[in-house]
Parts: sequence; C-alpha cells; structure tokens
Amino acid sequence: MKAVGARLPRYDGVAHVTGRTTYVDDVRIRGILWTKALRSPHHHAAITRLDASKAEALPGVHAVVTHEDVPKNVYGHLEALGIPADEPLLAENDVRYKGQPIAVVAAGDEDTAREAVELIEIEYEERPAFFDIRKALDPDWPQIHQWGPVYPHFGPHNHRRVRKGNVDRAFDEADVIVEGVYRPQAIEHCPLEPQTALAVPEADGRLTIYSCTQAMYFSMGVVAAHLEWPLNKLKFVGGTVGGGFGGKVDTATETICALLALKSKQPVKWRWTREEEFLASSTRAPWHMEIADALTNDGWILGRRMLTLHDSGAYARFSPYGVTKHAFHHTGAYTIPNVHFDGYVVFTNRVPTTAMRGFGVTSVSFAVETQMNRIAEVLDLDPLQIRLKNANRIGDTTANRITLKDPSTVPVVLAAADRIGYDLPAEYRSMTSDRRSGELLPEHLVAQLGVEETSGNGGGR
Amino acid sequence: MKLTVNGVEHDVQAPQLASLLHVLREELDLTSPKAGCQQGGCGTCTVLVDGEPRRSCLLPLAAVEGAAITTVEGLGAADELSPMQAAFDEHYAAQCGFCTSGFLLAGTALLNGSPGATREEVLEALSGHVCRCTGYVKIVRAVEAALHGEVHPERVEASFEPEETDVLIPGSPA
Ligand code: FES
Ligand code: FES
Repeated sequence: MKAVGARLPRYDGVAHVTGRTTYVDDVRIRGILWTKALRSPHHHAAITRLDASKAEALPGVHAVVTHEDVPKNVYGHLEALGIPADEPLLAENDVRYKGQPIAVVAAGDEDTAREAVELIEIEYEERPAFFDIRKALDPDWPQIHQWGPVYPHFGPHNHRRVRKGNVDRAFDEADVIVEGVYRPQAIEHCPLEPQTALAVPEADGRLTIYSCTQAMYFSMGVVAAHLEWPLNKLKFVGGTVGGGFGGKVDTATETICALLALKSKQPVKWRWTREEEFLASSTRAPWHMEIADALTNDGWILGRRMLTLHDSGAYARFSPYGVTKHAFHHTGAYTIPNVHFDGYVVFTNRVPTTAMRGFGVTSVSFAVETQMNRIAEVLDLDPLQIRLKNANRIGDTTANRITLKDPSTVPVVLAAADRIGYDLPAEYRSMTSDRRSGELLPEHLVAQLGVEETSGNGGGR
Repeated sequence: MKLTVNGVEHDVQAPQLASLLHVLREELDLTSPKAGCQQGGCGTCTVLVDGEPRRSCLLPLAAVEGAAITTVEGLGAADELSPMQAAFDEHYAAQCGFCTSGFLLAGTALLNGSPGATREEVLEALSGHVCRCTGYVKIVRAVEAALHGEVHPERVEASFEPEETDVLIPGSPA
C-alpha cells in the first residue's frame, strides 16, 4: 500500500511525451486496407433492397461484407449471462438508429473505400421513429424492437424491482411528501482517439487483432462469438487506449476488421472519423427518474418510491446491467427502510447507450443528491444535517439487503464540510459511522438493523 | 516534392492535396501527430511549421513546400527530454497521451516565442487543443513550469507530499 497517496512516475510517461506510445492507429503493418461503412441515414426503416455487387466490382476494393457474411450476425453483449441476443453486427431487415452499420468495404485507400460505399445499392421504407421514453408504455407505441417497448428479461418481470419494508405505511405516516423528477441527458464519451482496430491474418490461420478496447477479453469473446471461432485462434494486442471513459467497452470495430481481413486475406484497419464517433458510437444514456419521499418534519426519510426509465437506444447491450446497478444505489448513501423501486430499460431509435464513468450510478447519484437538497429546502432544514442524520451506518441494511460493515457517508460528509468551512452543530460534528443508538435510532429504523457481528471475522471496523 | 521534417529532408510522393498529417503518418511513418478529428477541431495533429503550431490535418502538402516541420519525434529522445517534455512528464500532464503531442508542440512554440507569457497567454496558446482526460490543470501547470525554467529533468521520485490545488481561471470555484 506504499503507492497510495504517493507521487510516482507514470510507467508510460516518457513514451507519451516522446510520441512513442503505440496506439492502434500507430501500429505499422505493410499493405493494410482501409475500411468505410454504409450507415443508415434513417432513425428507423425497413431495408427493402441491398445489392453490393457494384461496390465489389470497383477496382481497388478487396472485400465487401454484409450481414450475409457474418457466421453469427445477431449477438447480445449479455449472452454469457443467459440474456438472449438482439443486436445484428450488420443490419439485416431493418435499421433502428441513424448511423447503424449495414455494409462495410475494405479498399487500398480511404477514398476508394468511400467511393465503393456510395456504389452500394440500397432501398429503405421509412418507419416512424420513437424517442420519448416516457411514452414507452403508451398503446400507440410504434413497434421498434422484437421484445416490445421495454427489455423484458428481469427474471419474471419486465423491469428491475426493489421492494423492502412497507412503503404504503411509510407514506401514510409521513408528515410531508417531497417529489422530484430528474432527467440527465445523453453524453458522448468523445475520447480523442476514435474507435480503431487493425486485424492481421496470420500464416497459421489465426488472426491478430490490434484493438483500442477497454476490455480485452470481453472484446475477444465478442469477436469469437460472431466468427464462431475458438478463442485460441485469436490474438488480441491492446491495453493502450487513447481515452475510453466507458465508450470502448462495446466492441465497435474489431469484428468488422476481422471479417474483412478474412475475406480479403489482407490486414484491414478501421479508424472511425470524428463524425462517425458522434453519429454512431454509443453514448451515456439519457435517464428519466421520478422520486417521491415520505418524510417527517424533522428530516427523517421514512420511505421512497422511485420510477426509472433508462433509454437503452435501439438494442439492449449492457443496459439491463446498468439499470441493475442503478437500482442497487437508488437510496444513495442513506438508509431508507421502506422502498419501492421500478426501473425500466426502454428501447428507442437512438444509438445504443452504454457504460460511462459510473455506469448507472452517476445518474441516480445526481437524482438522489439533488433530491436531498430539495428535501432540505421544503422542510427548511440544513442540507448537510439531513444527510448526516439519514447517513448509512454500521449495521444498517441497504435496499437490496446488504448489512453495511464499513459505510463512509458520515466521514465523507464531515470531511466535505471541513473543506468548505461549513458550520455544523457539535452533535453533528462528532458523528461517526458507529451502529445506531439513542436519538439516531428512531422507531422506523429499528427493524432494518442487521444482526450484530459476534466473531472477529473481519467484519465491523 | 521536398519536405524537411525534424531536420531531415525527404522526397515525398503524395499528391499536392494530400494532408500533411497523412503524409507524416502514412508516408514518413511519423506517428506522433494523431488523427483525432481530421477537421481542425481537436489539435491532436498539431506540428510546428517554421516554428508555428499548425493543424497538419488541414494543411495540404503544397502549402508547406520548403517549410521546416517539427513533430514530437524531433523534440527530444527519452534520455534527453526537452524542457517542455520533461515538464509534461513531471506534472502528469499526459494521461491517455493521445492529445499530448499537440499540447507539447503548442507549449514549445510558446516557450520559444514568448517565454514570459502570462497565465492568460498560456490559456490562449493552448485553446483549441482538446484533452478529454486531464481536465487541463496539469497541462497548464506543466507549460508554466517549463516557461519558468522550473523543470527537473530527472524523473519524478516517489514522494508522499499532498498536491497544492490550483485555480486556473480567476474567480472560478476552487
Ligand atoms: S486532427 Fe487535426 S485538429 Fe483534430
Ligand atoms: S491525456 Fe487523454 S486526451 Fe489528453
């Protein structure tokens, strides 16, 4: 632990400042082909005709790949967890977001590849597009996903739920109810290094793939699944990421390069343009969160009802996982004994959304902390005192029934108060994370307390 | 066409309208200038053209005929870092490193042209260079350390001192 808090030289610092760090785009391989994609100009449309023969015939073009060339075209990022597949690598019958890839071309240079893309003949039949997640359960929802308006595979439910205590009683007994609606919007990760991959066919029949992925083994699994190849035929080279922030968890370019390399028998690179990044790379999701809190006049939170709508975009990808994390954090750093949470993953005609810096949790933290300030304002109480009062403490049980052994709400709030020179009364200043007692153990928090640790098994403090 | 890069003269074959970025990367294999946007918006492709920072993605080859080009490969090797390179390393101004070449060259041009630059002039010189990782504070700190000659070319030794927090823009919350 000597490195914690120390100023250590970066292992890659000198390489960075001498321009020697080798990102995927910097790997030098002779005779590479460049890739360009035909992408959907529509948010939602049926594909009624697709003919790439003129592109294939263009001199300088070495391979064109459509859905027909992909051994397993439809794949789900969560298949390993038993969740069915819903997303085609290359669009087949329909396109569900603007920028969705339909066909890809590898050519000797980028201009030729671009020209070939324009020669691909395609016809669409436009369909109504859907963007407002609040209308997902309306009867006139336009059919955009085979699973319906929301992701249906949360066990027996079509949404992630958390239930604890008796939320109706909490609302009956409340002095005040405070409601809030929170809607953080989509954010593009915008790493300075665009999505880039380079696939090199080797003499022994394997593929070497240079990848900017944040998740090497995951991406390897995705490529192997689409190719229906064993993992030992793939060699991934990576670990040098020119910024990712979550956006390089989805496998964006590697599989396409692999397919084009296999078909052309040449090394193939795909480097997205900045326009493609903004158009077609995944983003942080927009969220719609509604919170209603049952409160006492002196600032105790007796119960919380919460509804979350998560904009998954056109396919599921990791969204169910994000919403699950979100659900586990929906009481924030505070102990609320009675909760009723419903979280839906809603399909829209946006680009699919994904992880970004605290996947699913950043959104709920924003909502919960803003809600705490709103409560303080409505009750005319001090916002930090409300936080300290309801803070997680040793022995408290979270919404998903974890008994806390080492919560950090109290020391963090006190440290924050210190740093901004915030005045707090002595009884708040002297608070610790210790198990509740006395005034900090009101009637409504008794039943939620976890069992006291009895043996020295590493629990407690 | 003749092109002088980092003091070496090259005979380049690319067409006159090819971008300087493409020529440097694909014909001369100088990969420190990066293709971050290829439309003038990010600064990762910056090189020095006769000492001035320029976006190589927007420069057609024909426009730099006879000029002297400097890329990061021409600044200093690992064992003899230039003051700006050493400052970036010492102050952790490179995180993922993808934007670093551009910032280094913008900083180097400032150091050569106006070593007495004020905070505002530093910010002006770096504006238009996008860094998505660092939040800029460490980059500004590094450039200023180089301007003030406060660079320690030996590598940072482990130390347990807490860092000072810094306010970049007067009046902004700390
Ligand atoms: S690549 Fe030239 S400014 Fe972005
Ligand atoms: S260090 Fe990653 S973009 Fe600047």
